[in-house]
Amino acid sequence: MILIAVALVVLPHGLSFSQQEILVYLVINILLVVSYRLMTLTGEWSLGHVVIMGVGAYTSALLTKRLGFYVPVSMIMGALMAAFVAFLLSFPLFRMKGFYFLIGSFASAEIIRLLWKRFREPFGGPKGLKRIDGLPNIDIGPIHIDFFEPTAYYYFALIVVLVCLWVLWRIEKSLVGLTFHAVHWQDKLAQASGVDVRRYRTLAFVLASGFAGLSGALLAHYIGTINPNSFDVEVMVFVLTWAIVGGTSTFYGPILGCIVLTILNEIVLRELGFEQMRPLIYGAIMIVSILFMPDGLESLVKRALARWKSAPPPPNQPEEAKP
Amino acid sequence: MFDLLAQTVLNACYSASYISLVAVGLVLIFGVMGIVNFAHGELFMVGAYVVVALYSNYDIPYVLVAAIGLVFVGCIGLLMERTMFRPLRDNPLGGLVASIGFLMILQALASITFGVRMAFVPPVTQDVIEFTDKIRLPLQRLYVILAAVGFLTALWLFLTRTRFGWALRASAQDPEAAALQGISITQTAKIAMFIGAALAGVAGVLTAPLISVNPHMGHSVIIAAFIVVIVGGVGSLEGAVVASIAYAFVHTFVTTFFDGVIADITGLLLMLLVLIVKPTGLFGTADRA
Amino acid sequence: MRFGGLTAVDKLNFNVQKGTIHGLIGPNGAGKTTTFNMISGFYRPTEGEIVLRDESIAGLQMHEVAHRGVVRTFQHSTLFAEMSVLENVLVGTHMEFRPSIWSALSGRDAQQRRGAEAKAQEALDFFGLLGFQHNLAGDLPHGHQRALGMAVALACRPDIMLLDEPFTGMNPEETKHMMKLMGRLRDSGVTVLLVEHDMFAIMGLCDTITCMSFGKFLAEGGPKEIRNHPDVIQAYLGGARHVA
Repeated sequence: MILIAVALVVLPHGLSFSQQEILVYLVINILLVVSYRLMTLTGEWSLGHVVIMGVGAYTSALLTKRLGFYVPVSMIMGALMAAFVAFLLSFPLFRMKGFYFLIGSFASAEIIRLLWKRFREPFGGPKGLKRIDGLPNIDIGPIHIDFFEPTAYYYFALIVVLVCLWVLWRIEKSLVGLTFHAVHWQDKLAQASGVDVRRYRTLAFVLASGFAGLSGALLAHYIGTINPNSFDVEVMVFVLTWAIVGGTSTFYGPILGCIVLTILNEIVLRELGFEQMRPLIYGAIMIVSILFMPDGLESLVKRALARWKSAPPPPNQPEEAKP
Repeated sequence: MFDLLAQTVLNACYSASYISLVAVGLVLIFGVMGIVNFAHGELFMVGAYVVVALYSNYDIPYVLVAAIGLVFVGCIGLLMERTMFRPLRDNPLGGLVASIGFLMILQALASITFGVRMAFVPPVTQDVIEFTDKIRLPLQRLYVILAAVGFLTALWLFLTRTRFGWALRASAQDPEAAALQGISITQTAKIAMFIGAALAGVAGVLTAPLISVNPHMGHSVIIAAFIVVIVGGVGSLEGAVVASIAYAFVHTFVTTFFDGVIADITGLLLMLLVLIVKPTGLFGTADRA
Repeated sequence: MRFGGLTAVDKLNFNVQKGTIHGLIGPNGAGKTTTFNMISGFYRPTEGEIVLRDESIAGLQMHEVAHRGVVRTFQHSTLFAEMSVLENVLVGTHMEFRPSIWSALSGRDAQQRRGAEAKAQEALDFFGLLGFQHNLAGDLPHGHQRALGMAVALACRPDIMLLDEPFTGMNPEETKHMMKLMGRLRDSGVTVLLVEHDMFAIMGLCDTITCMSFGKFLAEGGPKEIRNHPDVIQAYLGGARHVA
């Protein structure tokens, strides 16, 4: 535990500037993919998560640009807005299940994205929003923190994300989380036990969306410019890939997928100069992993852990949700 | 006003033609294999690039190019079936994810081979049918409409009049019962995948001289096809055709009188509405998802 | 209750007395499970009334019916197969210990969870499953899975339990044991309504039996009356093989 903490603190110092930037994105993406997993706990797979993240980004950016909100406050407002939008969407969407929910979430997300594109006022149209304020600098006596520095922003994002991960972890391990699982595996039986299935689906969706919105706000105030294409289906595909390559039956699965694929993608492929080949290799990884490792990287970890403990192998983990 | 209306109707007929070719293939694949093929728009894109590769660069006759495109994209469909969908038969989500992976590969291959910029396709014909000086139908658009009618009729005959077609429809309705009847699932999956992909490819070949050919052109087509499939009813071929026509008219009219983005939003809202009110689609009875 | 043009249950009328074990029998296709599904809120009856303590519950959703103290089990082994036995029953304590996110974050849920686990273990103990609490529910033998289904229902602390073929898949030993447990349930004040094919269990257990055939009411009475009721005998001999 302490080892990990030290590693997280020391990490940015051995890296180049561009690698530090990637590190910031990585931390933000981890929050995104873990919040996505919370959504999948109740068994529904959404294709709108990235647009919901965009709702947080747009809200927070607009609040600071137009109304002069203090950035951390606007970030929280962005998260709340994303949750609220999800709450509204839950009314039409949770009349659907499985494949229909997947398509419905995609359609409603695409509508939101097209609205950003269509309305120059206030969303900036296809060009989006530019020059979004960063976190204000901190100047207290000798301490001077400039959040344009990736390292500084990394620490800030890291703290925020760790707190969020802790919250998500607590929720999953609580009786609420147990109920999410119950809704997933046997919604009939859960309902017969008095669980309002629809309410719990909505709860998971709203919570996940709130954290996605926060990750969007974190991103917006770092890169400083967002547009409708920053949140299109392609980005959603990345999130989906992280979750599937990592596996979604454990808390750490999606994190693992996100880290491994980001390192592979950004460091290996970009440094080796395969710029154009990246989508190709990403696509191949998706296919190969779904064909030969349907339970994700986490299944490898589980097996390794089991061998390390030299205990009998853990009970077979269930296969993941199929919409 | 009448001119504008008449012209818009012609434009709508043209979009209905290629959208229905793509959508019918999508429905066929979903019906027989239960897989949502997200890469279907990219098969359309590959069809268009076959034209770029053969017709723009070499002087091969257009009809021959169309035939090559049809077979080539159909074979890509067979490749997908063999390498991804057959091993993932019991895992619909897996099939979907794999098709997304395949989509990315096709896009990347197209941009590596041909560049990300719009590719140039010389017009096949410059002729235009002029009804009045304001109502005009370029001959190439007429080709698309005629070809779509032709191919869909051929598909209809194949499905209703031949033994293979009968087997295909049987396994689309009830795969288990069909298997019990001795219909090979692998065989029908292969046929469905070939036909479905070939139709998308042919749509790409036909429209290539008319639209901007680029590696990301599949995106808007697949969204249109999804809307059509949902509105028409998942698993209903007739529904897909009718919905294609309806969608093309709505989309073309809204584009003409408002703008393209509003038209896209209208289409998506339409689909959401159908999903909310009658998720099985206006013509659908199958509930296999 | 009609499905399209098919009338599955028609003009059925019966009362369940508090604190009794009430059996619902009939040949295959008589509409017993449909009746269950209507009472529990799984189906909304197209016509008619379901009254619980002077309140109409027809058309309520399943979880709303559960909150009024009517909890059902399902045919076959409908369980959270991928969760542990204890977790299965914890879902049953949902109504008593309303889980909330705030208590999860503030840490107040530790106490709540202990309470819920105690209640869950009580229910497991009643059905003799306490020793399996850490096993995966899907790994249990069939008879135990049936018992676990009932333990989940019991953990809901119902006033009325609707048991859908609880004895299917149990060997005679297990059946006898389960009958004893149901007797104890009734004595503790729980009303039981069950659908069952096992005539030995029905006759030995029920205070009142309602027999239906082809969606209609046929006869009602104590085990003795029903066993000798000419219509009932006729229905079974005419239609099915399950007569004991």
